[in-house]
Amino acid sequence: MKWLLKIVDAVRPTFEEGGKLHVFNPVFGALEHFLFAPGTRTLGAPHIRDPIDLKRFMSMAIISVVPCVFAALYFFGLRIIPMIIVSYACGLAVEAAFAIVRKEGINEGFFVTGILFPMILPPGIPLWMVGVGVAFGVLIGKELFGGTGRNIFNPALVGRCFLALAYPAKMSASWIEAGGGLTGRLLEYATAPAATDAVTVATPLSEAKGGQMCSIWHLLFGNVSGSAGETSAILIILGGVFLLFTRVANWRTVAGILLSFVILTGALIQGGAVSYSIDGLVSPIIWHVFAGGLLFGAFFMATDPVTSPTSNIGKWIYGIIIGSTTVLIRNFTGYVEGVTFAILLGNIVAPILDEAVIAIRIRRLRSEG
Amino acid sequence: MSDTSAWVIFIAAIFTNNILLTNFLGMCSFIACSGQIKTSLGLGTAVTFVMVMTTMLNYVIYHFVLVPYGLGHLQFIVFIAVIAAFVQLVEMFVERFSPKLYFALGIFLPLITVNCAILGASLFMIIREYTFVQSVGFGLGAGIGWAVAILMLAGLRQKMRYSHVPKAFEGVPIAMIVTGVLAMAFMGFAGMVSIQ
Repeated sequence: MKWLLKIVDAVRPTFEEGGKLHVFNPVFGALEHFLFAPGTRTLGAPHIRDPIDLKRFMSMAIISVVPCVFAALYFFGLRIIPMIIVSYACGLAVEAAFAIVRKEGINEGFFVTGILFPMILPPGIPLWMVGVGVAFGVLIGKELFGGTGRNIFNPALVGRCFLALAYPAKMSASWIEAGGGLTGRLLEYATAPAATDAVTVATPLSEAKGGQMCSIWHLLFGNVSGSAGETSAILIILGGVFLLFTRVANWRTVAGILLSFVILTGALIQGGAVSYSIDGLVSPIIWHVFAGGLLFGAFFMATDPVTSPTSNIGKWIYGIIIGSTTVLIRNFTGYVEGVTFAILLGNIVAPILDEAVIAIRIRRLRSEG
Repeated sequence: MSDTSAWVIFIAAIFTNNILLTNFLGMCSFIACSGQIKTSLGLGTAVTFVMVMTTMLNYVIYHFVLVPYGLGHLQFIVFIAVIAAFVQLVEMFVERFSPKLYFALGIFLPLITVNCAILGASLFMIIREYTFVQSVGFGLGAGIGWAVAILMLAGLRQKMRYSHVPKAFEGVPIAMIVTGVLAMAFMGFAGMVSIQ
């Protein structure tokens, strides 16, 4: 890697203060930091010796998604790779434009959004839509609010929501049947069947609306159609437990979502408000937990520390709001899946929850004297 | 005359047909008074109260005075007059019991008179041919829906104090963009319950 370092060192003056391409310094900095450890050191004492920083935090999040990315490659083919590349390229372009104008560095926050975004899209989606969606999400959801750490909405979800509302027909025609066998679709560049013939593939959740529910095992392993990274329940749980274990994700949010989801679904079945083709109480609940984007959203999207509440009680209520809204949207609206809307709604009420929790705590402290 | 139950209309007016986020009525005070959670809570309560009372009053006046005498075409003027008179009462009430809130709301308390959401609620009630009970459900739901929306925006704007918004987007523009995302999230409820 010496030669690469030499090139980087050689072009550095061009980008530094007074250089010709000074304007593009943030882009250069991001590239340099991506390739090599930065040479800057803290000057003088004291040094904070804490192993967790933004970069480490984001790396953990990316590592936890890796199993899902491989599952997406296996089930839906090589098309996932250009989707990820387009997502990174378009998102980074917006990010870089803002960094250049603001004269700040590009930070690691986007690397998580860039990988999560293709994972929540239908695998057969046209590439231009990936680009438009991620650009919209990063611009409206994050950069207008000041970039990583200052956003109030989850950028990937804003992008997904935008695509779902703006191009509903294209989105619903982009599902691909999952591959099976030894190699799955690893050797294929599968596109949506709608491009060649008129047969559209249904996701398990939309089939369930028609009264057909596939086997729970299929949902657990993931050989069903659905958004690229959300199909394999077991790999999501694996990555999610890793996130909880490293304390990047907070368990309260996840527990709030899953518990409220299970309880409300159970109550609806018991009360006779909804009925599924699978008999019993427990198995339809498990089916619905594994189906669609619930687990992916609960572990990877809702736990985003920036857009979720900071207080612990707030996190519980936030989880409960997301879980129960998902149940309501899934069962009673025209939409098949409601996790995107539910988490976005959670992001919206998060600041109010924090304010309410703090106000109640202050009042209690005052009354205690 | 629709036969949807008042309860369903109430829920629909909050979520699926939120008067602010789907009809975009009452935007002026929504944008202008959402800087602080406390103020917006006060304004939200005032709007809810006024909305319920005026839909009730307007219902009675419309169906028992205007229609029998064939004066239905006067509804706009009469409704606005009723709303204005009622807001005057509320204003006196707030000034007497919560001077702090009175000063925080400032010009926007009398401006509830011309808050289009309130006139809108009365007019929707007539167009959709609600019964009295349905009108109460709708007025209460629309008011609460408006209050929920302004509370959410106020919370987000308080959090955005730590944000670094580009100069051109500070203040109203970013609030408009946030409102847009709010409306996007509320689209998720579409079709859950129908208002008619």
